[in-house]
Amino acid sequence: MIKVNKLIKIFEGRGQIVRAVDDVSTQVAKAEVVVIIGPSGSGKSTFLRCLNGLEEFDDGQVIIDGIDIAGSKTNLNAVRREVGMVFQHFNLFPHKTVLENVTLAQRVVRKRKATEAHDKAMALLTKVGIAEKANEYPSRLSGGQQQRVAIARALAMDPKVMLFDEPTSALDPEMVGEVLDVMKQLAREGMTMAVVTHEMGFAREVAHRVLFMDAGKVLEDAPPAEFFTAPKEPRAQAFLKQVL
Amino acid sequence: MALKHSSAQWPWQGLLVLILLGLTIGLWIATKRVNYEWRWERIPQYFAYQEQDLQTAPFAGTVIKVNANGDTSQVTLQPQPGGQPAVITVETATLKVTDGAQVNADEEIGAQRGSWQVGPLTQGLWVTIWISFISGFFGLIIGLITGLCRISKNPALRGLSVLYIELIRGTPLLVQIFIFYFFIGTVLHLDRIVAGIGALALFVGAYTAEIIRAGIQSIPKGQSEAARSLGMSAAETMTHIVLPQAFKRVLPPLAGQFISLIKDSSLVSVIAITDLTKSGREIITSSFATFEIWFTVALLYLVVTSVLSQLLFWLERRFARSD
Ligand SMILES: Nc1ncnc2c1ncn2[C@@H]1O[C@H](COP(=O)(O)OP(=O)(O)OP(=O)(O)O)[C@@H](O)[C@H]1O
Ligand SMILES: [Mg+2]
Repeated sequence: MIKVNKLIKIFEGRGQIVRAVDDVSTQVAKAEVVVIIGPSGSGKSTFLRCLNGLEEFDDGQVIIDGIDIAGSKTNLNAVRREVGMVFQHFNLFPHKTVLENVTLAQRVVRKRKATEAHDKAMALLTKVGIAEKANEYPSRLSGGQQQRVAIARALAMDPKVMLFDEPTSALDPEMVGEVLDVMKQLAREGMTMAVVTHEMGFAREVAHRVLFMDAGKVLEDAPPAEFFTAPKEPRAQAFLKQVL
Repeated sequence: MALKHSSAQWPWQGLLVLILLGLTIGLWIATKRVNYEWRWERIPQYFAYQEQDLQTAPFAGTVIKVNANGDTSQVTLQPQPGGQPAVITVETATLKVTDGAQVNADEEIGAQRGSWQVGPLTQGLWVTIWISFISGFFGLIIGLITGLCRISKNPALRGLSVLYIELIRGTPLLVQIFIFYFFIGTVLHLDRIVAGIGALALFVGAYTAEIIRAGIQSIPKGQSEAARSLGMSAAETMTHIVLPQAFKRVLPPLAGQFISLIKDSSLVSVIAITDLTKSGREIITSSFATFEIWFTVALLYLVVTSVLSQLLFWLERRFARSD
Protein backbone atom coordinates (compact mmCIF):
# COMPACT_ATOMS: atom_id res chain seq x y z
CA MET A 1 0.00 0.00 0.00
CA ILE A 2 2.82 2.40 0.91
CA LYS A 3 6.23 2.02 -0.63
CA VAL A 4 9.10 4.31 0.29
CA ASN A 5 12.32 4.29 -1.67
CA LYS A 6 15.53 6.02 -0.55
CA LEU A 7 13.58 8.98 0.83
CA ILE A 8 15.65 12.07 1.67
CA LYS A 9 14.43 15.28 3.24
CA ILE A 10 16.91 18.03 4.10
CA PHE A 11 16.09 21.20 6.02
CA GLU A 12 18.38 24.14 5.40
CA GLY A 13 18.22 27.25 7.46
CA ARG A 14 20.48 29.67 9.27
CA GLY A 15 23.60 27.92 8.01
CA GLN A 16 22.43 24.62 9.46
CA ILE A 17 21.69 21.59 7.37
CA VAL A 18 19.45 18.97 8.97
CA ARG A 19 19.01 15.64 7.26
CA ALA A 20 15.57 15.09 8.82
CA VAL A 21 14.89 11.96 6.75
CA ASP A 22 18.03 10.31 5.56
CA ASP A 23 17.75 7.57 2.96
CA VAL A 24 14.74 5.71 4.30
CA SER A 25 13.32 2.74 2.43
CA THR A 26 10.42 0.71 3.75
CA GLN A 27 6.94 -0.44 2.91
CA VAL A 28 3.59 -0.90 4.56
CA ALA A 29 1.33 -3.66 3.30
CA LYS A 30 -2.44 -3.45 3.08
CA ALA A 31 -4.08 -3.75 6.53
CA GLU A 32 -0.70 -3.56 8.19
CA VAL A 33 -0.13 -1.37 11.26
CA VAL A 34 3.35 0.11 11.51
CA VAL A 35 4.39 2.05 14.60
CA ILE A 36 7.28 4.49 14.32
CA ILE A 37 9.17 5.36 17.47
CA GLY A 38 12.35 7.25 18.19
CA PRO A 39 13.80 10.12 20.19
CA SER A 40 12.64 13.71 19.72
CA GLY A 41 13.96 15.31 16.55
CA SER A 42 14.73 11.97 14.92
CA GLY A 43 12.55 12.82 11.91
CA LYS A 44 9.41 10.78 12.63
CA SER A 45 6.98 13.62 11.92
CA THR A 46 8.89 14.71 8.85
CA PHE A 47 8.87 11.17 7.50
CA LEU A 48 5.12 10.85 8.05
CA ARG A 49 4.44 14.23 6.43
CA CYS A 50 6.43 13.17 3.36
CA LEU A 51 4.02 10.25 2.92
CA ASN A 52 1.13 12.56 1.96
CA GLY A 53 3.23 15.28 0.42
CA LEU A 54 2.69 17.85 3.18
CA GLU A 55 6.47 18.04 3.21
CA GLU A 56 8.21 18.24 -0.17
CA PHE A 57 11.07 15.79 -0.10
CA ASP A 58 14.42 16.25 -1.78
CA ASP A 59 15.04 12.83 -3.20
CA GLY A 60 13.61 9.33 -3.37
CA GLN A 61 10.16 7.98 -4.04
CA VAL A 62 6.89 7.59 -2.17
CA ILE A 63 4.35 5.32 -3.81
CA ILE A 64 0.82 5.20 -2.40
CA ASP A 65 -1.39 2.44 -3.78
CA GLY A 66 0.70 2.31 -6.95
CA ILE A 67 0.88 6.08 -7.49
CA ASP A 68 4.19 7.95 -7.29
CA ILE A 69 3.15 11.03 -5.31
CA ALA A 70 6.00 13.15 -6.70
CA GLY A 71 5.30 12.07 -10.27
CA SER A 72 4.94 14.85 -12.81
CA LYS A 73 1.42 13.71 -13.79
CA THR A 74 0.23 13.02 -10.27
CA ASN A 75 -2.57 15.10 -8.81
CA LEU A 76 -1.41 15.38 -5.23
CA ASN A 77 -4.88 16.43 -4.04
CA ALA A 78 -6.30 13.21 -5.45
CA VAL A 79 -3.67 11.20 -3.59
CA ARG A 80 -4.31 13.01 -0.32
CA ARG A 81 -8.00 12.06 -0.43
CA GLU A 82 -6.90 8.47 -0.01
CA VAL A 83 -4.51 9.23 2.85
CA GLY A 84 -6.06 10.38 6.11
CA MET A 85 -3.92 12.22 8.63
CA VAL A 86 -4.39 12.85 12.34
CA PHE A 87 -2.28 15.53 14.02
CA GLN A 88 -0.85 15.93 17.48
CA HIS A 89 -2.82 19.15 18.01
CA PHE A 90 -6.05 17.91 16.33
CA ASN A 91 -6.24 20.95 14.00
CA LEU A 92 -10.04 20.92 13.93
CA PHE A 93 -11.60 23.86 12.12
CA PRO A 94 -12.67 26.14 14.98
CA HIS A 95 -15.20 28.13 12.94
CA LYS A 96 -17.19 25.01 12.04
CA THR A 97 -19.26 22.74 14.24
CA VAL A 98 -18.18 19.17 14.87
CA LEU A 99 -20.62 17.99 12.22
CA GLU A 100 -19.41 20.56 9.69
CA ASN A 101 -15.82 19.56 10.38
CA VAL A 102 -16.68 16.05 9.26
CA THR A 103 -18.92 16.97 6.32
CA LEU A 104 -16.93 19.85 4.78
CA ALA A 105 -14.31 17.86 2.86
CA GLN A 106 -16.89 15.25 1.84
CA ARG A 107 -18.88 18.00 0.16
CA VAL A 108 -15.97 20.01 -1.25
CA VAL A 109 -13.59 17.23 -2.22
CA ARG A 110 -15.73 14.13 -2.69
CA LYS A 111 -18.67 16.22 -4.02
CA ARG A 112 -21.16 14.25 -1.94
CA LYS A 113 -24.73 15.39 -1.48
CA ALA A 114 -25.61 17.13 1.79
CA THR A 115 -27.71 14.26 3.13
CA GLU A 116 -25.16 11.63 2.18
CA ALA A 117 -22.35 13.60 3.84
CA HIS A 118 -24.50 14.18 6.91
CA ASP A 119 -25.41 10.51 7.29
CA LYS A 120 -21.81 9.44 6.82
CA ALA A 121 -20.64 12.01 9.37
CA MET A 122 -23.20 10.94 11.96
CA ALA A 123 -22.31 7.29 11.47
CA LEU A 124 -18.62 8.04 12.01
CA LEU A 125 -19.27 10.31 14.99
CA THR A 126 -21.32 7.52 16.52
CA LYS A 127 -18.48 5.12 15.83
CA VAL A 128 -15.97 7.31 17.69
CA GLY A 129 -18.57 7.81 20.41
CA ILE A 130 -19.23 11.53 20.10
CA ALA A 131 -22.47 11.84 18.11
CA GLU A 132 -24.15 13.82 20.89
CA LYS A 133 -21.68 16.69 20.39
CA ALA A 134 -22.35 16.99 16.64
CA ASN A 135 -23.63 20.55 16.87
CA GLU A 136 -21.03 21.89 19.31
CA TYR A 137 -18.06 23.96 18.27
CA PRO A 138 -14.67 22.24 18.78
CA SER A 139 -13.62 24.69 21.50
CA ARG A 140 -16.33 23.24 23.76
CA LEU A 141 -14.82 19.75 23.56
CA SER A 142 -12.12 18.10 25.64
CA GLY A 143 -8.85 17.16 23.97
CA GLY A 144 -9.78 13.50 23.74
CA GLN A 145 -13.14 14.34 22.19
CA GLN A 146 -11.48 16.71 19.71
CA GLN A 147 -9.01 14.07 18.64
CA ARG A 148 -11.80 11.55 18.08
CA VAL A 149 -13.60 14.11 15.91
CA ALA A 150 -10.35 14.59 13.98
CA ILE A 151 -10.19 10.84 13.36
CA ALA A 152 -13.81 10.83 12.18
CA ARG A 153 -13.03 13.78 9.89
CA ALA A 154 -10.19 11.85 8.27
CA LEU A 155 -12.22 8.64 7.99
CA ALA A 156 -15.07 10.48 6.27
CA MET A 157 -12.96 10.58 3.11
CA ASP A 158 -12.84 6.76 3.03
CA PRO A 159 -9.05 6.76 3.05
CA LYS A 160 -7.02 3.70 2.14
CA VAL A 161 -4.27 4.68 4.58
CA MET A 162 -4.31 6.52 7.90
CA LEU A 163 -1.31 8.44 9.24
CA PHE A 164 -1.17 9.35 12.93
CA ASP A 165 1.42 11.83 14.24
CA GLU A 166 1.56 11.48 18.03
CA PRO A 167 -2.24 11.54 18.32
CA THR A 168 -2.21 11.24 22.12
CA SER A 169 0.80 13.39 23.07
CA ALA A 170 -1.21 16.55 23.67
CA LEU A 171 -3.85 14.79 25.78
CA ASP A 172 -4.32 14.55 29.52
CA PRO A 173 -3.50 11.00 30.66
CA GLU A 174 -7.10 10.08 31.39
CA MET A 175 -8.10 10.81 27.78
CA VAL A 176 -5.36 8.83 26.07
CA GLY A 177 -7.30 5.56 26.41
CA GLU A 178 -10.43 6.72 24.56
CA VAL A 179 -8.39 7.77 21.53
CA LEU A 180 -6.24 4.63 21.53
CA ASP A 181 -9.41 2.52 21.70
CA VAL A 182 -10.69 4.10 18.51
CA MET A 183 -7.33 3.45 16.83
CA LYS A 184 -7.30 -0.17 17.99
CA GLN A 185 -10.74 -0.70 16.56
CA LEU A 186 -9.60 0.77 13.24
CA ALA A 187 -6.62 -1.59 13.20
CA ARG A 188 -8.90 -4.57 13.87
CA GLU A 189 -11.09 -3.54 10.96
CA GLY A 190 -8.11 -3.82 8.65
CA MET A 191 -7.11 -0.17 8.13
CA THR A 192 -3.59 0.36 6.85
CA MET A 193 -1.93 2.57 9.46
CA ALA A 194 1.37 4.35 10.08
CA VAL A 195 1.49 5.62 13.65
CA VAL A 196 4.11 7.81 15.33
CA THR A 197 3.62 7.42 19.05
CA HIS A 198 5.23 7.17 22.44
CA GLU A 199 2.56 4.72 23.62
CA MET A 200 4.62 1.55 23.91
CA GLY A 201 1.60 -0.42 25.11
CA PHE A 202 -0.24 0.40 21.90
CA ALA A 203 2.78 -0.58 19.82
CA ARG A 204 3.10 -3.90 21.60
CA GLU A 205 -0.58 -4.71 21.34
CA VAL A 206 -1.55 -3.49 17.89
CA ALA A 207 1.54 -3.03 15.71
CA HIS A 208 2.60 -5.61 13.18
CA ARG A 209 5.99 -3.93 12.87
CA VAL A 210 7.89 -1.31 14.83
CA LEU A 211 10.29 1.08 13.08
CA PHE A 212 12.91 2.74 15.26
CA MET A 213 14.20 6.04 13.87
CA ASP A 214 17.17 8.08 14.93
CA ALA A 215 18.81 11.03 13.16
CA GLY A 216 16.65 10.55 10.09
CA LYS A 217 17.47 6.89 9.61
CA VAL A 218 15.42 3.77 10.27
CA LEU A 219 17.76 1.77 12.46
CA GLU A 220 15.50 -1.10 13.32
CA ASP A 221 12.47 -2.71 11.69
CA ALA A 222 11.03 -5.65 13.59
CA PRO A 223 7.82 -7.16 14.97
CA PRO A 224 7.04 -5.71 18.41
CA ALA A 225 7.65 -8.94 20.29
CA GLU A 226 11.14 -9.05 18.89
CA PHE A 227 11.83 -5.32 19.14
CA PHE A 228 10.77 -4.88 22.75
CA THR A 229 12.51 -7.99 24.06
CA ALA A 230 15.69 -8.08 22.02
CA PRO A 231 16.53 -4.86 20.17
CA LYS A 232 19.65 -5.24 18.08
CA GLU A 233 20.76 -1.62 17.81
CA PRO A 234 22.53 -0.11 20.81
CA ARG A 235 20.67 3.21 20.28
CA ALA A 236 17.34 1.41 20.30
CA GLN A 237 18.37 -0.40 23.48
CA ALA A 238 19.26 2.93 25.11
CA PHE A 239 15.97 4.50 23.97
CA LEU A 240 13.90 1.62 25.29
CA LYS A 241 15.69 1.72 28.61
CA GLN A 242 14.65 5.37 28.93
CA VAL A 243 10.99 5.02 28.02
CA LEU A 244 10.07 1.68 29.58
CA MET B 1 -7.44 41.14 43.04
CA ALA B 2 -10.05 39.92 45.41
CA LEU B 3 -11.14 43.30 46.75
CA LYS B 4 -12.67 45.97 44.63
CA HIS B 5 -12.03 49.51 45.82
CA SER B 6 -15.19 51.06 44.49
CA SER B 7 -15.11 53.78 47.15
CA ALA B 8 -12.05 55.32 45.47
CA GLN B 9 -14.00 55.95 42.26
CA TRP B 10 -16.24 58.92 42.98
CA PRO B 11 -13.61 61.67 43.47
CA TRP B 12 -12.33 60.94 39.99
CA GLN B 13 -15.79 60.91 38.49
CA GLY B 14 -16.39 64.26 40.18
CA LEU B 15 -13.16 65.58 38.71
CA LEU B 16 -14.27 64.41 35.25
CA VAL B 17 -17.53 66.33 35.58
CA LEU B 18 -15.62 69.43 36.75
CA ILE B 19 -13.22 69.30 33.81
CA LEU B 20 -16.06 68.91 31.29
CA LEU B 21 -17.92 71.78 32.93
CA GLY B 22 -14.77 73.92 32.79
CA LEU B 23 -14.31 73.18 29.10
CA THR B 24 -17.91 74.16 28.33
CA ILE B 25 -17.59 77.41 30.24
CA GLY B 26 -14.28 78.13 28.51
CA LEU B 27 -15.90 77.61 25.14
CA TRP B 28 -18.77 79.89 26.06
CA ILE B 29 -16.43 82.64 27.24
CA ALA B 30 -14.30 82.28 24.12
CA THR B 31 -17.28 82.84 21.82
CA LYS B 32 -18.42 85.79 23.92
CA ARG B 33 -14.93 87.28 23.53
CA VAL B 34 -15.16 87.30 19.72
CA ASN B 35 -18.74 88.65 19.89
CA TYR B 36 -20.04 85.75 17.91
CA GLU B 37 -23.77 85.70 17.47
CA TRP B 38 -25.09 82.16 17.48
CA ARG B 39 -27.82 81.50 14.98
CA TRP B 40 -28.65 77.85 15.54
CA GLU B 41 -32.18 78.42 14.31
CA ARG B 42 -30.82 78.82 10.79
CA ILE B 43 -29.39 75.31 10.70
CA PRO B 44 -32.50 73.07 10.31
CA GLN B 45 -33.43 74.60 6.95
CA TYR B 46 -30.19 73.22 5.50
CA PHE B 47 -31.34 69.70 6.28
CA ALA B 48 -34.81 70.10 4.78
CA TYR B 49 -37.04 73.04 3.97
CA GLN B 50 -40.50 73.60 2.69
CA GLU B 51 -40.84 75.39 -0.62
CA GLN B 52 -42.94 78.54 -0.77
CA ASP B 53 -45.52 78.67 -3.53
CA LEU B 54 -46.05 82.36 -4.26
CA GLN B 55 -49.69 83.34 -4.84
CA THR B 56 -50.29 86.40 -7.03
CA ALA B 57 -53.37 88.35 -8.02
CA PRO B 58 -54.82 87.03 -11.32
CA PHE B 59 -56.06 90.49 -12.20
CA ALA B 60 -56.06 94.06 -10.92
CA GLY B 61 -58.77 94.72 -8.33
CA THR B 62 -59.78 95.29 -4.73
CA VAL B 63 -59.57 92.97 -1.76
CA ILE B 64 -63.12 92.78 -0.49
CA LYS B 65 -62.71 90.17 2.22
CA VAL B 66 -59.87 88.55 4.22
CA ASN B 67 -61.09 85.52 6.10
CA ALA B 68 -58.46 84.39 8.62
CA ASN B 69 -59.03 80.74 9.33
CA GLY B 70 -56.28 79.71 11.72
CA ASP B 71 -53.07 79.01 9.78
CA THR B 72 -54.60 79.75 6.41
CA SER B 73 -56.52 82.77 5.12
CA GLN B 74 -58.97 83.18 2.23
CA VAL B 75 -58.57 86.43 0.33
CA THR B 76 -61.51 87.41 -1.89
CA LEU B 77 -60.58 89.68 -4.79
CA GLN B 78 -63.08 91.74 -6.79
CA PRO B 79 -61.91 92.57 -10.33
CA GLN B 80 -61.68 96.29 -11.10
CA PRO B 81 -64.02 96.48 -14.13
CA GLY B 82 -66.46 94.19 -12.34
CA GLY B 83 -67.11 90.47 -12.75
CA GLN B 84 -66.74 87.25 -10.76
CA PRO B 85 -64.66 87.65 -7.57
CA ALA B 86 -61.77 85.20 -7.07
CA VAL B 87 -60.79 83.48 -3.79
CA ILE B 88 -57.09 82.93 -3.10
CA THR B 89 -55.89 80.80 -0.20
CA VAL B 90 -52.53 81.64 1.44
CA GLU B 91 -50.67 81.03 4.70
CA THR B 92 -51.76 83.60 7.27
CA ALA B 93 -48.13 84.28 8.21
CA THR B 94 -47.28 85.21 4.63
CA LEU B 95 -50.33 87.42 4.02
CA LYS B 96 -49.28 90.61 2.23
CA VAL B 97 -52.64 92.41 1.77
CA THR B 98 -55.33 93.84 4.01
CA ASP B 99 -59.06 94.28 3.56
CA GLY B 100 -59.87 97.05 1.07
CA ALA B 101 -56.41 97.18 -0.46
CA GLN B 102 -55.94 97.82 -4.17
CA VAL B 103 -53.79 95.28 -5.97
CA ASN B 104 -52.31 95.20 -9.44
CA ALA B 105 -52.30 92.13 -11.65
CA ASP B 106 -49.50 89.67 -10.61
CA GLU B 107 -49.00 91.43 -7.30
CA GLU B 108 -47.99 89.08 -4.49
CA ILE B 109 -50.81 88.25 -2.09
CA GLY B 110 -49.05 85.62 0.00
CA ALA B 111 -47.64 82.14 -0.25
CA GLN B 112 -48.81 78.58 0.13
CA ARG B 113 -46.77 75.78 1.64
CA GLY B 114 -45.14 73.80 -1.14
CA SER B 115 -43.51 70.40 -1.00
CA TRP B 116 -40.61 69.51 1.32
CA GLN B 117 -37.17 69.79 -0.23
CA VAL B 118 -33.93 68.09 0.80
CA GLY B 119 -31.41 70.63 2.05
CA PRO B 120 -27.74 70.79 1.06
CA LEU B 121 -26.49 69.28 4.33
CA THR B 122 -28.61 66.17 3.81
CA GLN B 123 -27.51 65.96 0.19
CA GLY B 124 -23.85 66.31 1.17
CA LEU B 125 -24.24 63.70 3.90
CA TRP B 126 -25.77 61.29 1.42
CA VAL B 127 -22.93 61.87 -1.07
CA THR B 128 -20.39 61.25 1.68
CA ILE B 129 -22.11 58.02 2.69
CA TRP B 130 -22.42 56.49 -0.73
CA ILE B 131 -18.98 57.59 -1.92
CA SER B 132 -17.49 55.99 1.21
CA PHE B 133 -19.58 52.87 0.76
CA ILE B 134 -18.69 52.32 -2.88
CA SER B 135 -14.99 53.08 -2.45
CA GLY B 136 -14.97 50.89 0.68
CA PHE B 137 -16.53 48.03 -1.28
CA PHE B 138 -13.99 48.28 -4.11
CA GLY B 139 -11.20 48.88 -1.60
CA LEU B 140 -12.11 45.62 0.11
CA ILE B 141 -11.94 43.72 -3.16
CA ILE B 142 -8.65 45.38 -4.16
CA GLY B 143 -7.29 44.71 -0.69
CA LEU B 144 -8.29 41.05 -0.77
CA ILE B 145 -6.68 40.47 -4.16
CA THR B 146 -3.55 42.45 -3.25
CA GLY B 147 -3.30 40.74 0.13
CA LEU B 148 -3.41 37.32 -1.56
CA CYS B 149 -0.82 38.43 -4.16
CA ARG B 150 1.37 39.72 -1.35
CA ILE B 151 1.72 36.21 0.12
CA SER B 152 1.77 34.34 -3.20
CA LYS B 153 4.84 32.40 -4.30
CA ASN B 154 4.90 34.20 -7.66
CA PRO B 155 7.60 36.95 -7.56
CA ALA B 156 5.83 39.11 -10.18
CA LEU B 157 2.56 39.21 -8.22
CA ARG B 158 4.42 39.76 -4.97
CA GLY B 159 6.57 42.55 -6.41
CA LEU B 160 3.62 44.37 -7.94
CA SER B 161 1.58 44.22 -4.75
CA VAL B 162 4.50 45.47 -2.63
CA LEU B 163 5.09 48.33 -5.07
CA TYR B 164 1.42 49.34 -4.99
CA ILE B 165 1.19 49.18 -1.21
CA GLU B 166 4.38 51.20 -0.72
CA LEU B 167 3.36 53.84 -3.29
CA ILE B 168 -0.01 54.40 -1.64
CA ARG B 169 1.21 54.29 1.93
CA GLY B 170 4.15 56.57 1.22
CA THR B 171 2.21 59.47 -0.32
CA PRO B 172 -0.52 61.75 1.07
CA LEU B 173 -4.11 60.98 0.09
CA LEU B 174 -4.65 64.60 -0.98
CA VAL B 175 -1.83 64.31 -3.51
CA GLN B 176 -3.20 60.97 -4.72
CA ILE B 177 -6.61 62.53 -5.30
CA PHE B 178 -5.05 65.36 -7.32
CA ILE B 179 -2.99 62.93 -9.41
CA PHE B 180 -5.98 60.70 -9.95
CA TYR B 181 -8.20 63.59 -11.00
CA PHE B 182 -5.84 65.81 -12.98
CA PHE B 183 -3.60 63.15 -14.52
CA ILE B 184 -5.35 59.80 -14.73
CA GLY B 185 -8.76 61.44 -14.92
CA THR B 186 -7.71 63.59 -17.86
CA VAL B 187 -5.99 60.77 -19.71
CA LEU B 188 -8.92 58.36 -19.30
CA HIS B 189 -11.64 61.06 -19.42
CA LEU B 190 -12.94 60.15 -15.98
CA ASP B 191 -15.82 61.89 -14.32
CA ARG B 192 -14.80 63.69 -11.10
CA ILE B 193 -16.96 61.31 -9.04
CA VAL B 194 -15.30 58.28 -10.62
CA ALA B 195 -11.87 59.81 -10.04
CA GLY B 196 -12.71 60.54 -6.41
CA ILE B 197 -14.05 57.05 -5.76
CA GLY B 198 -11.09 55.51 -7.61
CA ALA B 199 -8.55 57.42 -5.53
CA LEU B 200 -10.29 56.52 -2.27
CA ALA B 201 -10.69 52.86 -3.25
CA LEU B 202 -7.00 52.54 -4.16
CA PHE B 203 -6.10 54.26 -0.90
CA VAL B 204 -8.09 51.93 1.39
CA GLY B 205 -7.17 48.97 -0.81
CA ALA B 206 -3.51 49.32 0.11
CA TYR B 207 -4.19 49.44 3.85
CA THR B 208 -6.79 46.68 3.63
CA ALA B 209 -4.26 44.49 1.80
CA GLU B 210 -1.83 44.71 4.69
CA ILE B 211 -4.60 43.99 7.21
CA ILE B 212 -5.76 40.95 5.24
CA ARG B 213 -2.21 39.66 4.75
CA ALA B 214 -1.58 39.87 8.48
CA GLY B 215 -4.93 38.16 9.14
CA ILE B 216 -4.16 35.27 6.82
CA GLN B 217 -0.70 34.82 8.28
CA SER B 218 -2.13 34.78 11.80
CA ILE B 219 -4.07 31.56 11.10
CA PRO B 220 -2.01 28.63 12.40
CA LYS B 221 -0.30 26.50 9.75
CA GLY B 222 -1.99 23.40 11.14
CA GLN B 223 -5.32 24.65 9.77
CA SER B 224 -4.26 24.65 6.15
CA GLU B 225 -2.27 21.43 6.66
CA ALA B 226 -5.38 19.72 7.98
CA ALA B 227 -7.40 20.97 5.02
CA ARG B 228 -4.75 19.96 2.48
CA SER B 229 -4.39 16.54 4.07
CA LEU B 230 -8.11 16.00 3.40
CA GLY B 231 -7.46 16.60 -0.30
CA MET B 232 -8.63 20.21 -0.56
CA SER B 233 -6.85 22.34 -3.15
CA ALA B 234 -5.01 25.51 -2.16
CA ALA B 235 -7.94 27.64 -3.34
CA GLU B 236 -10.53 25.52 -1.49
CA THR B 237 -8.41 25.70 1.65
CA MET B 238 -8.26 29.48 1.32
CA THR B 239 -12.00 29.98 0.82
CA HIS B 240 -13.35 27.42 3.28
CA ILE B 241 -10.76 27.38 6.04
CA VAL B 242 -8.31 30.27 6.09
CA LEU B 243 -10.28 33.30 4.89
CA PRO B 244 -13.35 32.78 7.12
CA GLN B 245 -11.13 32.55 10.18
CA ALA B 246 -8.90 35.40 9.04
CA PHE B 247 -11.93 37.58 8.32
CA LYS B 248 -13.09 37.23 11.88
CA ARG B 249 -9.72 38.35 13.16
CA VAL B 250 -9.33 41.31 10.81
CA LEU B 251 -12.81 42.67 11.45
CA PRO B 252 -11.70 45.14 14.19
CA PRO B 253 -8.79 46.65 12.20
CA LEU B 254 -10.94 46.67 9.05
CA ALA B 255 -13.66 48.51 10.95
CA GLY B 256 -11.10 51.14 11.96
CA GLN B 257 -10.00 51.43 8.35
CA PHE B 258 -13.53 52.02 7.07
CA ILE B 259 -14.26 54.55 9.76
CA SER B 260 -11.11 56.39 8.67
CA LEU B 261 -12.33 56.17 5.09
CA ILE B 262 -15.52 58.06 5.91
CA LYS B 263 -13.44 60.84 7.43
CA ASP B 264 -10.82 60.77 4.67
CA SER B 265 -13.55 61.03 2.04
CA SER B 266 -13.88 64.71 3.04
CA LEU B 267 -10.74 65.30 0.97
CA VAL B 268 -12.61 64.67 -2.29
CA SER B 269 -14.22 68.07 -1.76
CA VAL B 270 -11.01 69.53 -3.26
CA ILE B 271 -11.99 68.20 -6.68
CA ALA B 272 -15.39 69.86 -6.38
CA ILE B 273 -17.42 66.84 -5.34
CA THR B 274 -20.23 68.19 -3.19
CA ASP B 275 -19.86 65.92 -0.18
CA LEU B 276 -20.71 66.86 3.38
CA THR B 277 -17.60 69.03 3.80
CA LYS B 278 -18.07 70.87 0.52
CA SER B 279 -21.77 71.44 1.29
CA GLY B 280 -20.76 72.94 4.62
CA ARG B 281 -18.35 75.33 2.92
CA GLU B 282 -20.97 76.35 0.37
CA ILE B 283 -23.62 77.01 3.01
CA ILE B 284 -21.23 79.21 4.98
CA THR B 285 -20.72 81.56 2.04
CA SER B 286 -24.44 82.36 2.08
CA SER B 287 -25.44 81.96 5.72
CA PHE B 288 -22.45 83.31 7.68
CA ALA B 289 -23.25 80.78 10.41
CA THR B 290 -19.67 79.52 10.27
CA PHE B 291 -19.33 78.02 13.73
CA GLU B 292 -22.74 76.36 13.73
CA ILE B 293 -22.21 74.80 10.31
CA TRP B 294 -18.79 73.34 11.14
CA PHE B 295 -20.03 72.00 14.45
CA THR B 296 -23.02 70.46 12.67
CA VAL B 297 -20.83 68.95 9.96
CA ALA B 298 -18.53 67.48 12.61
CA LEU B 299 -21.51 66.06 14.48
CA LEU B 300 -22.84 64.45 11.29
CA TYR B 301 -19.50 62.73 10.64
CA LEU B 302 -19.50 61.59 14.25
CA VAL B 303 -23.00 60.13 13.91
CA VAL B 304 -22.14 58.21 10.74
CA THR B 305 -18.89 56.81 12.14
CA SER B 306 -20.50 55.78 15.44
CA VAL B 307 -23.37 54.04 13.69
CA LEU B 308 -20.88 52.16 11.52
CA SER B 309 -18.75 51.22 14.48
CA GLN B 310 -21.79 49.91 16.38
CA LEU B 311 -22.78 47.90 13.33
CA LEU B 312 -19.36 46.32 13.01
CA PHE B 313 -19.23 45.68 16.74
CA TRP B 314 -22.49 43.78 16.46
CA LEU B 315 -21.11 41.80 13.49
CA GLU B 316 -18.01 40.93 15.50
CA ARG B 317 -20.13 39.61 18.35
CA ARG B 318 -22.06 37.41 15.95
CA PHE B 319 -18.85 35.95 14.55
CA ALA B 320 -17.57 35.25 18.04
CA ARG B 321 -20.17 32.50 18.40
CA SER B 322 -17.69 29.67 17.85
CA ASP B 323 -15.13 30.73 20.49
N1 LIG C 1 10.27 23.29 9.07
C1 LIG C 1 11.48 22.94 9.52
N2 LIG C 1 12.56 23.72 9.27
C2 LIG C 1 13.78 23.37 9.69
N3 LIG C 1 14.05 22.25 10.38
C3 LIG C 1 13.03 21.42 10.68
C4 LIG C 1 11.69 21.73 10.26
N4 LIG C 1 10.89 20.74 10.69
C5 LIG C 1 11.65 19.86 11.34
N5 LIG C 1 12.94 20.26 11.33
C6 LIG C 1 14.09 19.53 11.90
O1 LIG C 1 14.06 18.23 11.39
C7 LIG C 1 14.38 17.31 12.40
C8 LIG C 1 13.31 16.27 12.51
O2 LIG C 1 12.15 16.88 13.01
P1 LIG C 1 10.83 16.08 13.29
O3 LIG C 1 9.80 17.06 13.71
O4 LIG C 1 10.51 15.23 12.12
O5 LIG C 1 11.20 15.17 14.53
P2 LIG C 1 10.29 14.20 15.38
O6 LIG C 1 10.98 12.88 15.39
O7 LIG C 1 8.91 14.26 14.93
O8 LIG C 1 10.42 14.84 16.82
P3 LIG C 1 9.31 14.94 17.98
O9 LIG C 1 9.29 13.60 18.66
O10 LIG C 1 9.86 16.01 18.88
O11 LIG C 1 8.04 15.33 17.34
C9 LIG C 1 14.61 18.09 13.67
O12 LIG C 1 15.98 18.28 13.84
C10 LIG C 1 13.93 19.40 13.41
O13 LIG C 1 14.61 20.43 14.06
MG1 LIG D 1 7.02 15.04 15.72
